[in-house]
Amino acid sequence: MNRERIEEFLYREADLLDRPDLDSWVNLFAENGIYWMPAAEDQQDPINHISHIYDDRVMMEIRRRNFIHPRASSKEWEVRCSHVIGNIRVAPEDKDQGTTVTSNQHVVVWYREEQRLYACKVTHRLEVEGEDFKILEKRVDLINPSAPQQSLIIYL
Amino acid sequence: MTSVPTGDFSQVVTPTRVHRSLYTDPDLFELEMTRIWGQAWIFIGHESQVPNTGDYFTTNINHNIPVVMVRDKSGTVQVLHNRCGHKGAKVVEARSGNARGAFRCSYHGWSYRHDGSLLKVPNEAGYDGTGFDSANPCYSMQPLAQAESYRGFVFATLSPNAPDLKTWMGGARDCFDNLCDRAPEGEVEVAGGVLRYEHQCNWKFILENLNDTMHPMVVHESIVKAAESYLDSLPEDAVEQRKEAEIIPPFGASYEKFEASGITGFPFGHHYDGGKTSIHADYSVDPEYHAAMVAAYGEERTREIYSFNTHNVLFYPSLTIKCAVQNIRVIRPISVDRFIVETWSFRLKGAPDSMLQRTLLYSRLINSAMGMVGPDDLEVYRRAQEGLASPSNEWVEFHRQYGKDEQLEDRTVGGGTSDLDMRTQYQAWQAYMEGSIFNKVEKT
Ligand code: FES
Ligand SMILES: [Fe+2]
Repeated sequence: MNRERIEEFLYREADLLDRPDLDSWVNLFAENGIYWMPAAEDQQDPINHISHIYDDRVMMEIRRRNFIHPRASSKEWEVRCSHVIGNIRVAPEDKDQGTTVTSNQHVVVWYREEQRLYACKVTHRLEVEGEDFKILEKRVDLINPSAPQQSLIIYL
Repeated sequence: MTSVPTGDFSQVVTPTRVHRSLYTDPDLFELEMTRIWGQAWIFIGHESQVPNTGDYFTTNINHNIPVVMVRDKSGTVQVLHNRCGHKGAKVVEARSGNARGAFRCSYHGWSYRHDGSLLKVPNEAGYDGTGFDSANPCYSMQPLAQAESYRGFVFATLSPNAPDLKTWMGGARDCFDNLCDRAPEGEVEVAGGVLRYEHQCNWKFILENLNDTMHPMVVHESIVKAAESYLDSLPEDAVEQRKEAEIIPPFGASYEKFEASGITGFPFGHHYDGGKTSIHADYSVDPEYHAAMVAAYGEERTREIYSFNTHNVLFYPSLTIKCAVQNIRVIRPISVDRFIVETWSFRLKGAPDSMLQRTLLYSRLINSAMGMVGPDDLEVYRRAQEGLASPSNEWVEFHRQYGKDEQLEDRTVGGGTSDLDMRTQYQAWQAYMEGSIFNKVEKT
């Protein structure tokens, strides 16, 4: 697995979220891809425990349509993000799990005329598709998942 | 407890209007914290959060008074002031945990039994002959004026004058029964963790919104359309698998549908919408769950339990529950323009895991700060908070169907799109603020 290509993929994904361009971003996911933001530290179970977000492609598509809907008042505000990605580690490839890549990400979100900072450990499971990758799962562990959260209308 | 002084609040509350200062005035907020939150029964937690001796859960009973719910040696769940009898330090800092044997203050090491009584003062000889009496309850972690639980839901009040919990709940108590009866074993337990959501606006906005049935089709139009337009494009059998298809679209229900659900108000500010029907009424019934219910209750009683279908039930001012969904939201003010909502989900004992999974899906989609419904609600509360800074109109109105509310013996009933819920809340608000709330209470 080419580390440089993986890094390039992470940066490209972050770029799409920074803008944000959810139409293109959703297509980075495999058909059975999952976006998961747990609501507790070291959360093991996305189904029998609450999460902030646990979206498959269907929910991502619903969320994307809501995001651009003209009558979604919480989405009338401009949203822009800046992802900084570091501490990238690539685990050896696993036949079933794909390639697991962990990184630390600091995301500054501009929303409702305020800047906020999110700090998270992000775990990508990637599968190779031709020259490129597809995301099997993106897991975003906030450093404070159980703290009171403010409205967040964009994926980190 | 200091007694609550009386006063006249008819300058800011009328039967159909409240003054905008109720949402913006920090002094009024402080008074609310003493007079409403300092008198009402406030939801603390559920007994299942503290199953074993010494298990505790900490929270504040209003914006700043720290309390701890703990199971003592006798198995009783106590609600204690989280304040050391010595120099006042908060004794228990963690959100939850187990205090083996005793609580120990981290300052000078005084320790307390789980019922709050003082166990040990280090180097106690220094108090000999000083007049210090370690048996004086003021040196303990004192219990709140009253604490009681109903079907596992623990409430406490700072007021010795509040009527007993059952009387205070009145007819809204049926909703706790319905929530618990939906479990084949007749009991629920907290499961699957908590969501905490910060709201940058006055705490009363969320209470007013619970049974505000004129808002969903406007505020939630986008998510309903987004969900419906996409789900419609999927093959039918793919949609059948999606619980989202049952959960999201009813938020766009018509005025007629909401009108039909009705609103019922009770003394002390409680109310619910729904009863015979609600936006949760058309959820499919899991066959395995249904079988467990019928085995426990029989077909007829099971139908009866399902048929009581409320949407949001408010126990004014701190708790709202969803019987048909099995989640609750707990409100805690912080300041005049800030509060926290916690969403807790419940397992129906004796029901298959799929029921808890649906509850959690609901909490995640609807009540999460990253959800599809909550952020649009908060957006409009914030706009109200910001708009009410305008002096152009001093009043917020709630006239809808005024004069049509029907007063029954223990409750008021009206149409599902009436402002009966607002009138119910602000009658209680005024009586709490004026100190007359518990004047003429009859036991039920
Ligand atoms: S303040 Fe708690 S022991 Fe002194
Ligand atoms: Fe709403």
